[in-house]
Amino acid sequence: MKKNTVRALAVILLAGLALGPGQALAEAKAVKITAIVEHPALDSVRKGVIDELAAQGFKDGDAIAVEFQSAQGDVGIAGQIAQKFVGDGPAVIVPISTPSAQAVAAAAKGRVPVVFSAVTDPVAAKLVPEWKKPGANITGVSDLTPLDKQLDVVKRMVPSLKNLGVPYNPGEANSVVLLNKLKDVAQPKGITIIGAAAPSSNDVLQAGRSLVGKVDAMFVTTDNTVVSALEALVKVGTEAKLPLFAADTASVDRGAVAAVGFDYYDIGRQTGAIVARVLKGEKPGDIPVEGVEKLQLHLNARTAKAMGIALPEDLAKQAAKVVE
Amino acid sequence: MIDVQDIHVRFNAGTALEKHAVQGLSLTIPEGQFVTVIGSNGAGKSTLLNVLAGEVLPTTGRLMIDNQEVTRWPTSRRAGLVARVFQDPLAGTCERLSIEENLALALHRGKRRGLSRALHADQREHLRSRLAVLGLGLEGRMQDRMGLLSGGQRQAVSLVMATLTPPRILLLDEHTAALDPKTAAFIMGLTDRVVAERRLTTLMVTHSMRQALDHGNRTIMLHEGRVVLDVTGHERKGMRVEDLLHMFEKVRGQEVEDDRLLLG
Amino acid sequence: MSLIAFLGAIEIGLMYGLVAIGVYLSFRILDFPDLTVDGSLPLGAAVGATLIVAGVPPVVATLAGGLAGGLAGLVTAWLSVRLGILHLLASILTMIALHSVNLRVMGKPNQPLLGVDTVFTPFESLGLSPYWVTPVVLLGIVAAILLAVNWFLGSELGLAMRATGANARMARAQGIHTGWLTMLGIALSNGLVGMAGALFAQIQGGADITMGVGVIVVGLAAVILGEAIVSPRVIVIALIACVLGSIVYRLTVALALNAGFLGLQAQDLKLVTAVLVVVAMVLPGLRRKYAGSKAVAR
Repeated sequence: MKKNTVRALAVILLAGLALGPGQALAEAKAVKITAIVEHPALDSVRKGVIDELAAQGFKDGDAIAVEFQSAQGDVGIAGQIAQKFVGDGPAVIVPISTPSAQAVAAAAKGRVPVVFSAVTDPVAAKLVPEWKKPGANITGVSDLTPLDKQLDVVKRMVPSLKNLGVPYNPGEANSVVLLNKLKDVAQPKGITIIGAAAPSSNDVLQAGRSLVGKVDAMFVTTDNTVVSALEALVKVGTEAKLPLFAADTASVDRGAVAAVGFDYYDIGRQTGAIVARVLKGEKPGDIPVEGVEKLQLHLNARTAKAMGIALPEDLAKQAAKVVE
Repeated sequence: MIDVQDIHVRFNAGTALEKHAVQGLSLTIPEGQFVTVIGSNGAGKSTLLNVLAGEVLPTTGRLMIDNQEVTRWPTSRRAGLVARVFQDPLAGTCERLSIEENLALALHRGKRRGLSRALHADQREHLRSRLAVLGLGLEGRMQDRMGLLSGGQRQAVSLVMATLTPPRILLLDEHTAALDPKTAAFIMGLTDRVVAERRLTTLMVTHSMRQALDHGNRTIMLHEGRVVLDVTGHERKGMRVEDLLHMFEKVRGQEVEDDRLLLG
Repeated sequence: MSLIAFLGAIEIGLMYGLVAIGVYLSFRILDFPDLTVDGSLPLGAAVGATLIVAGVPPVVATLAGGLAGGLAGLVTAWLSVRLGILHLLASILTMIALHSVNLRVMGKPNQPLLGVDTVFTPFESLGLSPYWVTPVVLLGIVAAILLAVNWFLGSELGLAMRATGANARMARAQGIHTGWLTMLGIALSNGLVGMAGALFAQIQGGADITMGVGVIVVGLAAVILGEAIVSPRVIVIALIACVLGSIVYRLTVALALNAGFLGLQAQDLKLVTAVLVVVAMVLPGLRRKYAGSKAVAR
C-alpha cells in the first residue's frame, strides 16, 4: 500500500476515534463498568449486575447502554478508563475491585454516581467514611467474607484445630486486610493463624508445602492469587492429609473440603439492585454499603475423604450443595 | 621530567598464561625531550604507555612525574598531567558529541568540574582559532557530531585536544598507524609543529623505524620488556634504518624478523 | 473523546513524561539499561503517600519521594560500579529488593490518598475546574524540571556525564571520574521517577504495590516515540520529545478506549494501542528518516 494512502487512512482512523461516538444513544442511560483485570470472579460480578438490571426492567441496548473496559492489570490504564468514563457523563459508574474503585473515585471528584463492587474494605480504601450513610456520591457492595461463620465450620470439622495455615499474597490489599481480620476473629476462639506468603501464583504450591506439619488445616480467603492456584493447595492437602477450606463456594467444586461463602455472581446481583435504585433517582450517599447477604454452605465429600476427615451428618443436611 | 624506575609488569601472575610484559624497565625523560619508541609486537611498548597513562598498574617499580610519585594513580587522577592520542581515532573521542563538546572536555582536563557552563562564548572563540590552524575547515563545523569526521580529521582534533592545556607528558600511541600515507604525513607534520611550539615532553610509540628516526630527538628500542637500545644526539643524527637494524642485531644476537618494523 | 478524557491523558502523559526523562538519562545519556524504575516509581509513591497521610506537607512528601527514588538508583549504580555487577543485573536486583521495601514502607500493599491535601489542593481553591487544575500544575512542574535537567546537562559536570556514557575510556583520560558520574546520573534518573511516583499517587488516589509493573517499557516507548516524532538535534528538544512521546502514547490509549464502535472489545485495548502507536509514527512521515538519521548530539 502506498505511503500516502496509509497516511490518509491513518488520519481518518484517528479523526474517527477522536471525534467519534465513543458512546451510543442519548436517551438510554449510560452504565459504565470497569474492573482492574478480567478474572472469573470479577467477570461473574459483572454478569450479575447486568442480569439484575435486566430483571428490574433496565435492559442493555434498551433502557440502558452498558460499556465495559478492563484495565488489563495496569494502574495507569485504570486511571485513564476512569477519566474517560467520567468525561462521558454517565448515569452511574460501576468499578469492580479496589484499584479500579479508587481510580474512579479520584476522577469523579464527587460529581458522578459510583457504585463499587468486590471491594473488601471500602473504609480502609477511603472510598466511604462509614457503611451506614456514605454521604457523598459513592456506595457499593463489599465482598468481606463472614470470617466468624467460616472459622466455626472449620472448627466443627477439625475439632482439634489449634493452628490454621493461610496462604496469601502480601501484595494484594484485600488479602492483607482479610488476614488481619482473620487473626482478630480467631484469637477469642483459641485458634492461631499462620500466614504463608505467595507473591505470585507460582509460589502457592511452595507456600502450601511450608505449612505441612505446622498447622492442622489450611484456609484460603478471597485472595485472587491464591484462588487462581487452588489446585496446588488441593494437591498438598491430599498428599499430606491436611484439610483445605475456602471462603468462596466455587472453590469447593475445585477441591476445597468446605466453604461458607458466597457466589460472586450473587454479589453482582446485589450490586445490580443498588445500581437500579440509583438509576431510579436515589442518591448513592443515602444508600448504605452492603455486605454479603446470601451465604451458602458447600461441601466436597470426595476431597474430605482424600484429606482424611469425616463429614458430620447434620452439616451435610444443612449444606446447599454436596459434591461427591 | 618523567622518571620510570625499574618497572615490572606481570600479567596473570602464577597461572599458565603469565606474561612478564615489562621486565625491569628504567627510563628518564628530561623536560622537553621528544622520545620515539620502537619494538616488535610483544616488546612491551603498549604496556609501557599504559603504565604511564595509568591504565595498567605496574607489579613493582615506581613512576615519577616532576618528582611526584604517581605509580598507583588511576587514569582519571593523572589526567591533568598526562595527555594521550590513541591509535584508533574512535577511541580517543566521543563520537556522539560535537567537535566543540569534545574540545570542551579536553579544556577541563585536570580541573575540577562544576556547574558552570561547559562552553562559554570566549572559550568557543579560542577553540575556533586552534582548529583554524589545522587548515581543515573544521572551525566552521564545530557543532557537527564527531562521528561525521574522517579518521585523519579526528586524529588532528585529538592532537589539538591533547595540547589544549599543556600536559607534563604527551603520549602518542601509534597515532598514524590507522591512516593512509598522505594523511599520516599530514598528522606527523602537525605533531612536530605542536610539540615544537609548546616544547612538550613527548613519548611516541611507532611501528616504523623510519618514523622513529625522522621525528623526535631520542629513540629507544624495546625488546622483551627491556630497553635494548637508546640513541640520542650526535649518534642518532646520521643514523639510517640499516644502522638501527645492525645495532639491534648486535645487542641481541638475533635477526629482526618483524616485517612491519623493517618496511615501515 | 471527551474533554475530561483528553485532559486526563495529558495529565498522565505529563507524569510519565518525568519517567521518560529519567529513562532518557539512564538509557540514552549513560548507556545504562536501568530496570530499577519498576521499583523506584512505587517507592516514591509509597514514601509520598505514607508521609502525606502522616501529616507531612505534600510538597515535602513529594520531594521525599524523589529522594527515596534517588537512593534506590544509587544502590543500583553502586552495585554496578563498585562491585562490578553487570548494570542490567544490578538494576534487576534492586528492583526485586524494592518490592519488599515498598511493602514495609506502606505497611500494606495499598495506601489510599482520597480526601487528603495534595500538591494540587492549593490551586483547586482558586475557582478553576478541577479537571484543568491538575494538568496545568503538572505542566508547570514538568517544565521546571525539564529546564533544570537541561541546565545541568549543559554544565561542566553534565558534559562529563554525557562523555561517560559516550566513551568511558576517553572520559577517564580527560580526568572524569566515570564511577562517580554514573552513580550521580542513575541516582538523578531514579529521583525523577520517584518524584513522578509520588505525584502519580496524588493524582490516582493512592499508592499501590503493583504500580511499577511495566514502567520501564512505557518509559522507553515514550522516549523512542518522541524521537521518532521530533528527531531532536539539541538536548532541550530531546527532553521535550520525551514528554511529548509520553503524552502521545497516553492519547493513543485514550483513543483506543473509544474504539468500541469498531466492534472491538475490552480485551483488545493493548492491541489497539500498539496499532495506534504505529499510526502515530507513520503520520509525520518521519519513521524512515528516523531509521537513517543519527543526528542527535546526545
